Amino acid sequence: MNHHPGFDYIALCAYALIGILVVAFVLLAFRDVGRLRTGIFRSWAIGRTTIAEAWNARIWAIVPIWFLICLIISLLVRPYSAASQVEIYLTILLRAQLVMLLVYLGILACVSLPRERERRTLITTGSKPISRLELLLGKVIGICAAGLAMLVLMTAITWGFMAVINMHIEHDAAVLYAHEKRSYNSLVRRIPPEPGIRYTAQHGVLQAQNYYTGTLRIAGLINYQTNPPERALKGGSSETLYFDFPSLPAQFVSPPVFLFRFVVLRMNTGAKPNTPAQQAAMLQPVKIHVTAVLRDNPMMTAQQSLTLNPSGTVEWRPKQWTNFFSLYEPATGQLYDPGPVLLKVTCPTLGAYLFFGDGTQAQPAACLALNLDRSRVPAGMMIPKPDPVITGFKSNNKQEIVGPSYSHPGIPAEVASFEFAHLPDRRIPIGKHGNFTVHLFLSVDKQENEALPAIADITAFTLADPTHPIRMQLRFAEKHLTVLKLPKSLLDQSPLVINIQSNYPGHWIKLTQNSVQIVRPPSPFIVNLAKSEFIIFCEMVLLVVIGVTASTRLGWPVAMLTTMVCYVLGNLFHFVYKLMILGGFGLYGPYIDSKMKGLWYYQIGSFITAVMVKMLYALVRLMPDFTRFDPLHDIVISRNLPWIVPTVDAGWTLACALPILALGYLLLRKQELA
Amino acid sequence: MVAEFAAIETRDLTKIYPGFWKSQQVQALTNLNLRVRQGEIFGLLGPNGSGKTTAIKLLLGLINATSGEALVMGQQAGDQDTRRRLGYLPEESYLYRFLNARQTMDFYARLFNMNRSQRRQAVDYYLDFVGLDPAVRGRRIGTYSKGQTRRVALAQALLNNPDLVIMDEPTSGLDPVGMLEIKNMILRLKAAGKTVLLSSHQLADVEDVCDRLVILYRGRVELEGALNDLLEVKDVFQLEARRVSPELQAKLVEMTKAGGAEDIQTGRPRVRLEDLFKRLVDAKRRGEPMAVSTRR
Ligand SMILES: Nc1ncnc2c1ncn2[C@@H]1O[C@H](COP(=O)(O)OP(=O)(O)O)[C@@H](O)[C@H]1O
Ligand SMILES: [Mg+2]
Repeated sequence: MNHHPGFDYIALCAYALIGILVVAFVLLAFRDVGRLRTGIFRSWAIGRTTIAEAWNARIWAIVPIWFLICLIISLLVRPYSAASQVEIYLTILLRAQLVMLLVYLGILACVSLPRERERRTLITTGSKPISRLELLLGKVIGICAAGLAMLVLMTAITWGFMAVINMHIEHDAAVLYAHEKRSYNSLVRRIPPEPGIRYTAQHGVLQAQNYYTGTLRIAGLINYQTNPPERALKGGSSETLYFDFPSLPAQFVSPPVFLFRFVVLRMNTGAKPNTPAQQAAMLQPVKIHVTAVLRDNPMMTAQQSLTLNPSGTVEWRPKQWTNFFSLYEPATGQLYDPGPVLLKVTCPTLGAYLFFGDGTQAQPAACLALNLDRSRVPAGMMIPKPDPVITGFKSNNKQEIVGPSYSHPGIPAEVASFEFAHLPDRRIPIGKHGNFTVHLFLSVDKQENEALPAIADITAFTLADPTHPIRMQLRFAEKHLTVLKLPKSLLDQSPLVINIQSNYPGHWIKLTQNSVQIVRPPSPFIVNLAKSEFIIFCEMVLLVVIGVTASTRLGWPVAMLTTMVCYVLGNLFHFVYKLMILGGFGLYGPYIDSKMKGLWYYQIGSFITAVMVKMLYALVRLMPDFTRFDPLHDIVISRNLPWIVPTVDAGWTLACALPILALGYLLLRKQELA
Repeated sequence: MVAEFAAIETRDLTKIYPGFWKSQQVQALTNLNLRVRQGEIFGLLGPNGSGKTTAIKLLLGLINATSGEALVMGQQAGDQDTRRRLGYLPEESYLYRFLNARQTMDFYARLFNMNRSQRRQAVDYYLDFVGLDPAVRGRRIGTYSKGQTRRVALAQALLNNPDLVIMDEPTSGLDPVGMLEIKNMILRLKAAGKTVLLSSHQLADVEDVCDRLVILYRGRVELEGALNDLLEVKDVFQLEARRVSPELQAKLVEMTKAGGAEDIQTGRPRVRLEDLFKRLVDAKRRGEPMAVSTRR
């Protein structure tokens, strides 16, 4: 996920609102909460009755309907390999579960309370010793329990279905293996049968491979301190460094001067400088390109290309500062605050690495200072510090390292360093020869030396004993899994480090966080399926809570609409987030004639669109993000799901459900039941 | 039982149902001051729409008062712990149609945190108590007749052995036999020391059982007091006797006339149709022919 550059005051407002809700709930509900020790039984009684209602509304029908739909779809699709067959079936079965359960339970949640009000059963129930909190919880518990029962049924059916498919695949693999072996033995076939087929015949395709993924760091020179500098802006790449000033109060700003200060590392580009022009370019000083944007009005920009001094510093004095960094009001003769200012920095110089910090550390991490007229800053007032964020690397989640240089033999090749902590707790299986297995997924981009094979230099050591590393060279194939065996002596208390370097100049190895993984014991399919189903359940719980809350005061049609809107907004988080970062839409398009900017109706229009985008963002911020956990992601690809995902999801669901429940309680607290 | 506080006490209880326009507002109850002592049967009378149900809902905390105050068992109306000792029979039997009688009773018993054995005991005891045909107890309430539903509603009101029973038109939807049973039951509740508040526009109900009553009209109390005081016709004397021959009748009339009495009326008393009906059903149940009407 991208981090919004800078201070997200809208999110802060949203969180503050949620906080107020929770506080109000705690203050007003403490008696009812105190009663919950016995009240939970009363809630469960209401829940049971709600289950009976759901059963009476034929909730069970969604199971056969779901399975029928899945059967029809799976008969229509024709997967072309066993692995993709499993992938597709799982996708269909789980996605259909999610859709059908969410739709049905959303409706049920919205209808349940209003229907009791319409049929006036709430009058009888309300005369019994139950609190409104117990009533609300009872409804949520009941509907969730009904959904859970359906989910368990669907899980069992999914498991059975996949087991049957798996049996077929195993059988086919066994037949194929036997055939290939016979042909090989009778010399009809030259190639021995592939061991993968035998593995499939023996173990099927449902068993989950589990991995342990370490943390990835990339640097020209590895140093194992966690202080900054840790990340560098990579020259010649699309990486962009953002510095966001939450506000530049107008009264402080005399002609502003921005001071950029980086720790510069010049490294091999990998490309052999062929032409004199290229050679000259290698020796040229490092350039940066700076763009300043007004966050509230992205049409207001100032740009400048700057050349860093040999010490890595450069000053920037924006020319149009009066109408940009602090707006001048001719009528009153005063300057006023134009809102947050965003500085984007890119580095066009290939082979340069600019290390940065947030300006709070001493050298070498310092990077940016703002020249304010300090005489005008009131005592005790904090001058805003920029918040640096780098994008480009994170959005693609990809990084490259390049091999050694011809032209600068002294500079070592770039290193990708994977660090694995707490290994003894991970139950890493040890093979017959006392080795454990590491899987590498590497891909290579050969800009030179195309004829040479792709080779990675591997160095593995524990941080306790870095002086005796295990070194090896590994030949790997593009987009194929490479297996590496390492001795179990490396599974130490101190972290294991696996460093990768590209062996040949001009070979760029592309890496992601998951490129180096330690193999853990396989886990049974049913467990991983249950984990995925749990994520569906969590999503369902959230929707039910929203539905019940919406229906406390609204009639069922409006409650349904509200719930639907909430769900859609909860799915839009990333979209709206992007909109905010890019500065909104509508009149903010980049193709507007600059003459138009001065027109009053343009300004009103752009003001309105800005407000609308921000309101949308604020609304989205108030909703739980439904896309955060995907029940399909891991199980479809690797048949597994790390325990951390359902665990975090459970906590996250609770954290999101609590404020919504609090709202529901506050709405229901004084509601007349008759 | 020591009556240190009134079972129900209201002070200037007022309810205005809100409307979008001022003209849509309904002043359903105006300055109601009630005091129901513990252990008595109190009648809330009034024509349709006079605010009886509104008053009861206010006492249960189902709706919020516009102004004024209501105390039930010495606590604010709607208090969760007080509702533990309360039974409420709504005006119409608002029960879950998809549950059967036993499940319904079990559900309400759970709301009183009864454990499994208590629940099983209470459910059958009270269904027997209200005389619900055992054959229908396993059927969904949606399929019941109105009277059967009413009995389940009554059973749920008594389920927790409440100290105060509030009944909103308890006899509506019941046959005369059922009505009589209910009236007897109310008297039994009183004998057991319970307080009963009942609302009705069926005056016969009230007349037979109530100790005290108020009569509401358009949300205001028009009359209140003990039943005997209110009903006694202070200036009329009535005499009833068996085996009065026509001669004796004539003589009695003569004597009263001579004594200075006015507006003398004589005749045979009539039983009420309710009694007749009850005797008919009783006789049919015993398989006997029905006798002519006599005073027992
Ligand atoms: N929910 C409501 N909204 C508006 N008016 C209501 C509502 N409930 C009752 N009323 C009105 O309040 C008055 C009293 O009603 P109610 O207490 O039910 O009378 P009763 O039980 O004596 O027949 C009636 O005029 C009725 O129309
Ligand atoms: Mg009524």
